[in-house]
Amino acid sequence: MQENQKKCLELANRIYDLDAKVYECVGSSLGRTFTGNRENTVQNLCMLMLAKPNGHLLRSELALIGNMARTIQDKEARGQMLTEYDSILKEIEQLPDSFGKVDIVDLSRARLNPTAGKLSEKDHLVICISRTQGSAGNDIGFELADELHINYYDVEIFNQVLNRLEAEKGSVNDAEAEHFADFDKYRKRSFRLKTWLREFNRYHGLPRQDAVFFNMSDLICNLARTEDCVIMGRCADAILANNHIPHISLFISAPFSLRIQRTMASKNMELRQASRFLKQMDRQHKKYYDFYTGSRWGRPESYDLCINSANYGIRETIDLIERMIDQKRK
Amino acid sequence: MKKIITLLCIFCSVFFLCPVNVQAAESTQAAAVPVWLCIPFAGLLLCIALMPLVKGEWWEAHQPHVVILWVLAMAIPFAIVYGVGEMAETVLECTVNDYVTFIILLFGLFCVSGNITMEGDFAGSPRVNVGLLALGTFLASCIGTTGASMLMVRPVLKMNSWRKRKAHIMVFFIFMVSNMGGILTPIGDPPLLMGFMRGVPFFWSLHLFPVLLFNMIVLLFVFYHVDRRMYRRDIAEGRKPDISKPGTQFRIDGLHNLIFLVMIVVAVILSGVLPGLKIFQDSAGNVLGIPVFRDVRLSIPSVIEIVIILAAAGLSFKTTPKEIRTRNHFTWGAIKEVAVLFIGIFITMQPALMLLRQVGPNLGLDQPYQLFWATGALSSFLDNTPTYLVFLTTAGTIGFTSGISTSLGTVPVHLLSAISCGAVFMGANTYIGNAPNFMVKSISDENGVSMPSFFGYMLWSLAFLIPLFLLDTLIFFL
Repeated sequence: MQENQKKCLELANRIYDLDAKVYECVGSSLGRTFTGNRENTVQNLCMLMLAKPNGHLLRSELALIGNMARTIQDKEARGQMLTEYDSILKEIEQLPDSFGKVDIVDLSRARLNPTAGKLSEKDHLVICISRTQGSAGNDIGFELADELHINYYDVEIFNQVLNRLEAEKGSVNDAEAEHFADFDKYRKRSFRLKTWLREFNRYHGLPRQDAVFFNMSDLICNLARTEDCVIMGRCADAILANNHIPHISLFISAPFSLRIQRTMASKNMELRQASRFLKQMDRQHKKYYDFYTGSRWGRPESYDLCINSANYGIRETIDLIERMIDQKRK
Repeated sequence: MKKIITLLCIFCSVFFLCPVNVQAAESTQAAAVPVWLCIPFAGLLLCIALMPLVKGEWWEAHQPHVVILWVLAMAIPFAIVYGVGEMAETVLECTVNDYVTFIILLFGLFCVSGNITMEGDFAGSPRVNVGLLALGTFLASCIGTTGASMLMVRPVLKMNSWRKRKAHIMVFFIFMVSNMGGILTPIGDPPLLMGFMRGVPFFWSLHLFPVLLFNMIVLLFVFYHVDRRMYRRDIAEGRKPDISKPGTQFRIDGLHNLIFLVMIVVAVILSGVLPGLKIFQDSAGNVLGIPVFRDVRLSIPSVIEIVIILAAAGLSFKTTPKEIRTRNHFTWGAIKEVAVLFIGIFITMQPALMLLRQVGPNLGLDQPYQLFWATGALSSFLDNTPTYLVFLTTAGTIGFTSGISTSLGTVPVHLLSAISCGAVFMGANTYIGNAPNFMVKSISDENGVSMPSFFGYMLWSLAFLIPLFLLDTLIFFL
C-alpha cells in the first residue's frame, strides 16, 4: 500500500509538471488545467488515483491536458509532451485497484488528523472548533488554548486582522468591516450604484462576502502553517482540509433548553428573546457553513469529534479534548 | 450507465427526426428525392456525436477521411440517381455559394477576435458571468452571433479559469451569445439577412425584442442558479481566484482590431444589400457572378464580401503582435475542425434540403406554433438559412393579404416572428445547429474546459431550452 501511495504521489507530481510544461509551451494566458498550487493539486490527484485508478474523473482531467498539448505549435515539444502524457496514462492504467475495500478510512482526511500521530515536525497543532451559540464553545476554546499555551483566534480577532490587512492595501477603512454577527448571505441591503461599483472594482467582480471569505481563507492557512492555535468557526476545518493542512475539527453543542438558560444568564435576555436569538444564530451559522463548505453544519460526518458540552461541563470537556490530544501525541 | 445514456440519446434523436422522415417519405413520390440519400448526412452526424466518445484520438486524426467517406457515400448514389452533372452542380452550388462564404466569414471573425486579448484580474462569479452573457447576447445582434461568440469566448474562459466547473457556462454561452442574441437585426444571424434580402425591413426584427427579453430573463435566471451551485462547489473544494491585489486591473490589447471587426460586419451587410442593386444584376434581374459550372456562379457581391473579410483578417494579423495571439492561445485547431466537419455537413445535407424544399410547402403549416417548431426542429440539424427560406416561402405562398410584403409574398407578422425565432433560437439545440456553437466548443476544449459530448449537449438543451421554447409557444406563438 505504502509503495502504491508513493507511486501515486510520483505520478501526481508528473501530471502537475506536465500541465505546467504544456501551459508554458502553449504560451496562453487563458488559464491552465490545474490552477491550484502544487501541494493541493498533487494531493487531490493522488487521492483521485488511490480512490479510483481508472475513474472517469482522473481520465477527464488528464484529457484536458492532452487537448492543450495537441495545440502546441512546436512539433518537437508537442511530441515530448504527448509521449509523457501517454506514458503517464499507461502507468495509471497499471495501478492496482485495492484500496478502501475493507476499512472505512477516508485516506485524504485521515492523513490530516494530528491525533493519528503521523505528522511531520513542521506541522502544528491546530484545533478548529465549531459550536452552537450558548453551548460554551467559546469558553471551552479559549481555556483550551490557554492550557495548551497556544494562540486563540475567534471572529473578532479575524475581523481585526483582516481589516488591518485590507487597510494596509489602502483599499478599505475599518468602518467597512464585515462582521460575522451581521453576516447574512441573503440579507437585502439598500442598493447604491457608487458603492456597488466601488466594491465591484475592489473585489474583482466577486460579491463582498465571498472576497472576505477568500481573504480569510488565506489568513487561516497562514496561521495554521506557522503556529499552534485554536480557531473558532469561520469554516476553518473545511478550509484547512481543502489545503491539506493537518488539524482537528470539533463540534460543540448542547441541548436547546440548556443553551437558552445559559444565554439568558450570560446576556440578560428574556426567554423568548433568547430563544429567537439562538435560532437566528444557528440559522446564520448554518447558512454560512453550508454555503462555503458544501458540507452540513452540525452534522457528525463533517467533523472529527462532536461533543455535547452539557454532558461534561466546560472543565471536563476541555479535559476530554486534552486527553485525546495528549494520548495520541505520547 | 454511459452506454444507456448514449442509447437513450440516440433514441431521442431518432424520435425527433422521425416525423421529418415520415413526412418526407409520404411525399417521396411527388418530390422524387429518395429519403435514403439522407443516410450519409445522418451517418456523418452520428460520427460527430459518437466517435469522440468511442474512439477519440482516432477520430481527431481521421476526421477529414471520415468526412470524405460520407461525402462520397452521398455523391456516388446521387450521381447514379441524377447523373454526374447534376451531382457536380449540387455539390459545387452548396460549396461555392454557401460553404465558401460561411467558412470565410467564420475564418475572418476567428482571426480578428483572436488578436484581441483581455488582460485583467476579474474573477468569474455568477453575477459577473450573468453580466457577460447579457452583454454578449446584445452584442450578437450588433456584430452577429459568430462575431460576438469569437470576441467574448476568450474573456469568459479567462475570467473563469480559476474554476473547475465551467462547462455549463460555455453551454449557456452557446445558447445565448451564439444563437439567441442574433434575433434583433439581420446582421445577427444569416437567416434574418436572407429575410432582409427578400424584402423584410431591416429594423423589423426589433419587434422580436420582447421574445428575446423574455428568453434572456428566464435563461439568465436559470443560469445564475446553476452557476451559483457550481460556484459553491468550487469554493467548497478550496478553489479561489487570485484577489491578492487591492483593485481590479483591466486592459484590452489589440483593441484596434475592432476596426477590422466592423469591416467584416460591413461586408456581411453588403452581401445582403448589393444583390438588390441594379448594377449587380443582369438584364434578366439575375445577380452577376463568376461562372463555375453550369448554373453555378460565385456572385460578385459574395466576391466583394470575401475580399473585404480576407483583407480584414490579413490586416489584423499584420498589425497585431504575435505575442497577443500566444497569450490568447490562438491555434488553428478550432477553425480547422469546423472547416473539415462543415464541408461534409454542407454537402451531405443537400438531399435533406432538397426534400425540405419540395415537401415543406405541402406540409400545410399555417399556424405560428407549427412554423416555430417546424423551422426550429429542422434548424437544429440542418442549416438554418435554407430552412428559414423554405418556411418563409411556404408562408408567403399561403395568400395572406396583410402583413410584411416580401419578394416571396405577404407574410403575416406573427408567422414571420415564429419562423425567425424558430430558425435563430433553435440553432442552439445541437452543436451543429449554428456555426459558432462548434467553434465555441472547440476553443473551450482546447482551453481546459471539459465540454459535454454531442448528446451530452443535447441533454442540456432538452433540459433548459425545450421547456423555454414551450413557454415561448404558449406566450407568443399560440
